[in-house]
Amino acid sequence: MDVGMTPVRVGTAITLRGLRKRYGDVVAVDGVDLVVAPGEVVALLGPNGAGKSTTIDMLLGLTAPDDGDVSVFGLAPHEAVTRGVVGAMLQEAALPEDATVAEVVGMVGSLHDDPLPTAEVLRRSGIVDVANRRCAKLSGGQRQRTRFAIALVGNPDLLVLDEPTTAMDVSARKEFWTSMREFTDQGRTVLFATHYLEEAEEFADRVVLMRGGKIVADGTVAAVREAASGRTVRATLPGADRERLAALPGVTAASVRGDRIELVCTDADAAARALLIEFPRAKDLEVSSVGLEAAFLALTSEQEQR
Amino acid sequence: MIHTGYLVFELRRTMRSTRFLVFTVAFPIVLFVFFSQLFGNDTPDNAAGIDYHSVIMINMTAWGAMSAALYSGARVAVERGSGWQRQLRLTPLSGVGYLTGKGLSGLGVALPVVILVPLVAITTQGVRLSGAQWVQATVGIWLAAIPFALLGLLLGQLGTSDSMQSITSMLMMVLAILGGLWVPIEVLPDWMHQLARVLPSYWMSQVGRSAVDHHEALSSCALVLAVWTVVLGGLVALRYRRDSARG
Repeated sequence: MDVGMTPVRVGTAITLRGLRKRYGDVVAVDGVDLVVAPGEVVALLGPNGAGKSTTIDMLLGLTAPDDGDVSVFGLAPHEAVTRGVVGAMLQEAALPEDATVAEVVGMVGSLHDDPLPTAEVLRRSGIVDVANRRCAKLSGGQRQRTRFAIALVGNPDLLVLDEPTTAMDVSARKEFWTSMREFTDQGRTVLFATHYLEEAEEFADRVVLMRGGKIVADGTVAAVREAASGRTVRATLPGADRERLAALPGVTAASVRGDRIELVCTDADAAARALLIEFPRAKDLEVSSVGLEAAFLALTSEQEQR
Repeated sequence: MIHTGYLVFELRRTMRSTRFLVFTVAFPIVLFVFFSQLFGNDTPDNAAGIDYHSVIMINMTAWGAMSAALYSGARVAVERGSGWQRQLRLTPLSGVGYLTGKGLSGLGVALPVVILVPLVAITTQGVRLSGAQWVQATVGIWLAAIPFALLGLLLGQLGTSDSMQSITSMLMMVLAILGGLWVPIEVLPDWMHQLARVLPSYWMSQVGRSAVDHHEALSSCALVLAVWTVVLGGLVALRYRRDSARG
């Protein structure tokens, strides 16, 4: 069977409405609304305790929400899981140590009505060479890829991954995302939680930032950067006056370190133009976009100040 | 409800465990040979004139089958602790399918000892029984392992992976000694004999023994074991519902 030809479900992939969950006095998820369209690759980003894992648990039907609705391709979470519409890779789910990789993946495949061939899944997950190895003897990265294979073998339309690349080294991480690409190229939907910002930047179409159980930003990687006042202008300017710099159009903050100045801008173009006109001696001009990490920090710290 | 793929997977995993094979297959065989050498040739002092070899064979078969069934179910605790159970909840395997698979694999892994101990008894001690007696001493004992598979599941649902091993071993010992599997029940003081009649392990061995010495009626064995099965099955189901409702 050519897996690329498998019809992909239509309709909304994920709909979360007014999702809430509290554990005792701790509000883990505090009103999350999220709609994900089929084919989107969404990164769920946030510090520990932001509510990412609880949101994922509710999405998968592992935890019942106190309030709100969850639907996965129009199905209740449990039904979506039973029908193999959603495949998932959890953070701390172990493997049966006494079974081989091929046995585990084959067994999970046998539970599904329309599984992918085990050999195909092992290849795509990059674990063909350890297929007959017992799970107890796998490295951290191999374990993760085996768990990825388990999530994949049911041929799901939606993959949900909770911090999939923890315990992987750089090359394993790279390989992992290559196999993910193969999956998403077929128009499948992916939601992954991560705290590796570069992964979100590189692999997601869309980034959802969570903090304190709420979504604090949601958009494309570019839009999220924008939201945190996107760019920085750096230049060499001896004897600069910080206050005059800060007053330039499009500048939100300025700093001076010796001859080097740094302007944090909402409109870098306007700021650069004004800088060169008002200070003709400014040179070595450099405009750079703030990384997602900086945007992330800016957004979350903004929340903290409120 | 029964997933063949899952059942086969479970059977293979369990049969691969050296510790499992040592405790549930090798030990009963070794002890059978040992006890047979010690007591087997004693002149039967009872009116029925039973051959002790067959009684020891039945007790060791029952002990092995009981351990296998218990051990298999108790592994649920380990999988609950490790998170593998959580991963399985994200597959089409239902909770009932999971428990059924574990229970049936408990019966499956009880088969080798039920076959091997009698084989060793025939070949080394020359035990001879009629066809009907053999059915009772093998198939009968094997079916009597059902409540133990359920007891294992219940322990697996209640215990933690750390406590499980000691709890299971302890319970196996108590059930084996008080049920008269290691020491012939006749040798035990009367109050212990009365206590034994409550235990499923006693009735399990009596399923086999009723074929050779008519100590208890087979119908009583079936009845008591059926009650144990219903009670333990009910507790497993109840616990399962609590667990799923917690979510």
